[in-house]
Amino acid sequence: MRYQATHITRYSYQMPVSHCVSEARITPRSLPPGQRVIETRVQVEPEPMVLETRQDYFGNHVAAFSVFRPHAKLTVTARSIVEIEPRAAADHALPALAWEDARERLASGEAHEASLAASEFIFNSPYVAAAPKLAAYARPSFEPGRPLAEAARELATRIHTDFRYEPKATSIDMPLLDVFELRRGVCQDFAHIMIGALRSCRLAARYVSGYLRSGADLQGSEASHAWVSVFIPGHGWLDLDPTNDVIPSGGHLTVAWGRDFGDVTPIKGVSLGGGKHTVAVEVSVRPVV
Amino acid sequence: MAGQRTVNDTRVDPKRPRPLRGYAPIDGHWDEAFRPSGIPRRHWRTLAVAVGRMGFDQLTRRWQTGQQLIQANGVTYNVYGDPQGKERPWLLDPIPMVIAEDEWASIEKAVVQRATLLNAMLVDLYGGQRLIRSRNFPSALLFANPHFLRPCAGIAPAGGAWIHSYAADLARSPNGQWWVIADRTQAPSGLGYALENRLVSARTLPAVFDQCHVRQLTGFLDTQREALQTLAPNRRDHPRIVLLTPGPNNETYFEHSFLARHWGFPMVEGADLTVRDHRVFMKTLAGLEPVDLILRRMDDAFCDPLELRGDSVLGVPGLMQAVRSGNVAVANALGSGLVETAAPMAFLPSLCRHMLGEDLKMPSVATWWCGQAGPRRYVLDHLDEVVIKSAFRRPGEIPLFPAQMDARARRELAARIEAEPEQFVAQEQVAVSTVPVRTDDGLVPRHVLLRVFAGWDGHSYSVLPGGLTRVSMEANSPVVSMQAGGGSKDTWVLGSLDEPEPAAASPRPANAPESSLHPASRLPSRLADNLFWLGRYTERVEGGVRLVRALSPSLSGEEDFGHTVTLETAVQFLVSLNYLAPEFANMPIAQTRWQLSRLFSGLLYDPSRTSGIGWNLANVRRVTWPLKERLSHDTWRVLQQLETEFSRRPPTNPEQRLVSQMNLLDRVIVILSAFAGLLLENTTRNDGWRFFEIGKRLERGLEMSELLLAAMSNVPPDIDSSLETLLQIADSAITYRTRYFTAMRMDFVLELLLMDETNPRGLCFQMATLVDHLRHLPGYDAAGGEIPEALQVATASLAALRRALPEELAERDADGALPRLEDLMAKFKASLYDISDALADRHFSHLTVSRLSS
Repeated sequence: MRYQATHITRYSYQMPVSHCVSEARITPRSLPPGQRVIETRVQVEPEPMVLETRQDYFGNHVAAFSVFRPHAKLTVTARSIVEIEPRAAADHALPALAWEDARERLASGEAHEASLAASEFIFNSPYVAAAPKLAAYARPSFEPGRPLAEAARELATRIHTDFRYEPKATSIDMPLLDVFELRRGVCQDFAHIMIGALRSCRLAARYVSGYLRSGADLQGSEASHAWVSVFIPGHGWLDLDPTNDVIPSGGHLTVAWGRDFGDVTPIKGVSLGGGKHTVAVEVSVRPVV
Repeated sequence: MAGQRTVNDTRVDPKRPRPLRGYAPIDGHWDEAFRPSGIPRRHWRTLAVAVGRMGFDQLTRRWQTGQQLIQANGVTYNVYGDPQGKERPWLLDPIPMVIAEDEWASIEKAVVQRATLLNAMLVDLYGGQRLIRSRNFPSALLFANPHFLRPCAGIAPAGGAWIHSYAADLARSPNGQWWVIADRTQAPSGLGYALENRLVSARTLPAVFDQCHVRQLTGFLDTQREALQTLAPNRRDHPRIVLLTPGPNNETYFEHSFLARHWGFPMVEGADLTVRDHRVFMKTLAGLEPVDLILRRMDDAFCDPLELRGDSVLGVPGLMQAVRSGNVAVANALGSGLVETAAPMAFLPSLCRHMLGEDLKMPSVATWWCGQAGPRRYVLDHLDEVVIKSAFRRPGEIPLFPAQMDARARRELAARIEAEPEQFVAQEQVAVSTVPVRTDDGLVPRHVLLRVFAGWDGHSYSVLPGGLTRVSMEANSPVVSMQAGGGSKDTWVLGSLDEPEPAAASPRPANAPESSLHPASRLPSRLADNLFWLGRYTERVEGGVRLVRALSPSLSGEEDFGHTVTLETAVQFLVSLNYLAPEFANMPIAQTRWQLSRLFSGLLYDPSRTSGIGWNLANVRRVTWPLKERLSHDTWRVLQQLETEFSRRPPTNPEQRLVSQMNLLDRVIVILSAFAGLLLENTTRNDGWRFFEIGKRLERGLEMSELLLAAMSNVPPDIDSSLETLLQIADSAITYRTRYFTAMRMDFVLELLLMDETNPRGLCFQMATLVDHLRHLPGYDAAGGEIPEALQVATASLAALRRALPEELAERDADGALPRLEDLMAKFKASLYDISDALADRHFSHLTVSRLSS
């Protein structure tokens, strides 16, 4: 099935910005076999001095741009055509590797290239650090000998149940443990909590940013969304969306991944001037007819 | 070890030179200078004999001379978290650390090997990561390391030189073996201090310095500069190099300015640079100047707030992308902090064999990384014997000594290690060697660390034949740290007798002409702003000093000061200038005198009094900081002298205080004249100098117009005293007498102080000079289109002054007021403020940086 994903971000500044230097991670990456990118285009208004694309350390597509003329508004638009093969939601056929075995295989640095690469995601990152409180929260799901996939699936469900989806309750600068105490937040917070809990069990977990198909009855489809991927040695990465308590299938469109939000921030930048600013984001993912 | 002697043996030992008698090395530690038998080691003999002949008092005098030199050269070290102004004079012990030639040869080889190895590790870990896949380096040690900066991966610096400048901290154990206890691979500090120590020690111990054939340091710096050129992209012939500093609050700011000046590179802060089209430029008054290479003295993560640490306000947004595009090089390369942490030390012996095919020449301090099961078990079983540190260096981190913890704290530490083992290393506690240090109680042993510097020379590494020796301040403290208040020593590496040293004796090019402002480079806009304010604040200081000096004799009541100022005149001036409230005019004499004396003391000594001299001096200091590398040593010394004068406490006895104040003010006028002279005679007429002058002329214009009004508003017969005082403040009394041969007349005084364009204290002179300076600024020639506002205003104001007639200005109306003069002065002042605003708008509007994210 072919979709067009449109991601529009509009900044309005109180005072003119004389120039800005920015990076955007707003176009999907190819993820065979399920996701294939047909074409992508990023546009910036006003006309940027440079607009270049490259791949970052994690293989995500980055559009780097800078605008060197005074502006009070900045609009960044990304349009992508993506082919998606619907995957069956695989709740019933999860791999059976026990979570302690997964932990041991990761810790021993087993020779598999994939495990070695995944071991990058075991450790603390700027926004998500392991903590005894998070380990304690994870423990009920991680009973001895339980398959990792099953335990992680349950952890996602528990986060979905225990935390309230509430925009504006948190900000990205709030320390993870404060968000944990608050038991509220948005998809970013749900993902960070789950990653923190998994890392506290010394498992490899990464942060995935992406979009949800419009019209699907899911939280987070109006803006960019975030979920979690956990590594199961011998099997690969398993996506889990704690915000919606689902295993992503055809409705989730992967844009980028990293250790946490900081690695995949959709748009970040530094500007001269501007004063206060407001941001409005629109995302739509619709079938191409 | 020291078995034959008891530790506190103070018997007279005929073999020992006098001041060293009674020096007792600490049992169980190697002493650098003495054998356990108490005889100086061979390579220390010449120095020991010289110090012995000199005697303790002479040594102390030389030490004091050295500290004065250090202060005069402005060598300081900033201490983080010190509420008292942070800045501290550098402490240098008079007795150098001496290292024998053959021993140095092995240190040199070991340091070159280590720099080569660490550099090769960076090439691999940021490149193909073969060390990870071949399991020669644990993946956790890379992936858990916060100094592994992912945006830097895949970038290949020119010549493969990630590390351009490297430093190793060495310590010697009781058996005489040197160990590496720390590596510095991103922006090692200390080189500038080592050179400054050499300048001082060569001057305080000149004879023995020559006798010892101490190896010279200069060649190393020259090699470093040449090698830097090879790192610039595309190997440009004359790459444009800047030194990037975090700014005056950084602990080693002194050194940044020292090196920038030595190498002749402009010193910039992040805000002076901008990235456009993936190229780096320096913002100067004349426009954007391209930059090819950035020598950075800033930690990796702070260098680019876009791709690295977003909360950094020090860096240059977009720098990473410019580096990635190959348009600019950064030395040391961004990301090289990865290997300056303790954990990799545990793997260096095997990595050295694997990567260089040779054994590690100098061991690291024994290090166990807890990320591996075996070493972790060892550490947990031997907690009492080790020091626990973060595996990946954290700012402000304090090493933990489990032996000093109670059982509970030790259990908690063990649990933390178990929970996140890769975050911890344990290291052996080294019994560090000692060296004689001068204290008020004589020479005593103190622990010593040696920082050795290596630099990329284009092909390999070469080592500075010397280094920075640091000593602990307390006998029992194993912690040697400048932050914790330690001292330093010059490091003398002995050369062989028959090998002549290169002629260049001083690390500073002695004969190179040195201008007060660095002419070699364009001026960053930010510094133009500072120079402008330096002009304004120094002029304010001078104005304050001249005022107090002219009015102080009114307090004495005696005629023999040779001044005619009366108490009434003084009060009238001070009221007019808003230093005193009008009601002071009617107080009893004794009370007035007391109030005035308090006011003067406050103006001179109280730094919290805005508009006082102390307050203005503090501002001089603030704006001079960032200018440091642009001011000559002489200029800097003069400014320091100025500050020293005002830092002395005034005598409490009122009579003595008056006399000492008068003396102080006379001295200060001479110092200020020296400052003005340096700026006039020793400075290229560049844009920076012009901004300094513009600030000074603006301020003098403001002051003189206020003084004129204050003096003239007095009415006969007191006006004679006022005019006389005015002429004194304006240094024009003698000119007046020789020119007019007459008693005080207002119109003559106005002619001299307002109209006369040859009088450097007159108003017309100030405005005419302003017009001239403005015309010479970049972009101010009429050919380039519209004339900038500042120049328009100044030209109009000058014309108005020239049109004025002194006799008309001196006319009083029915109330005795001077409407024409008042009107002219008001317009003149308004013009000066407009010029200042126009300059600020055009050159100094520093917009604030904000961040956006979605």
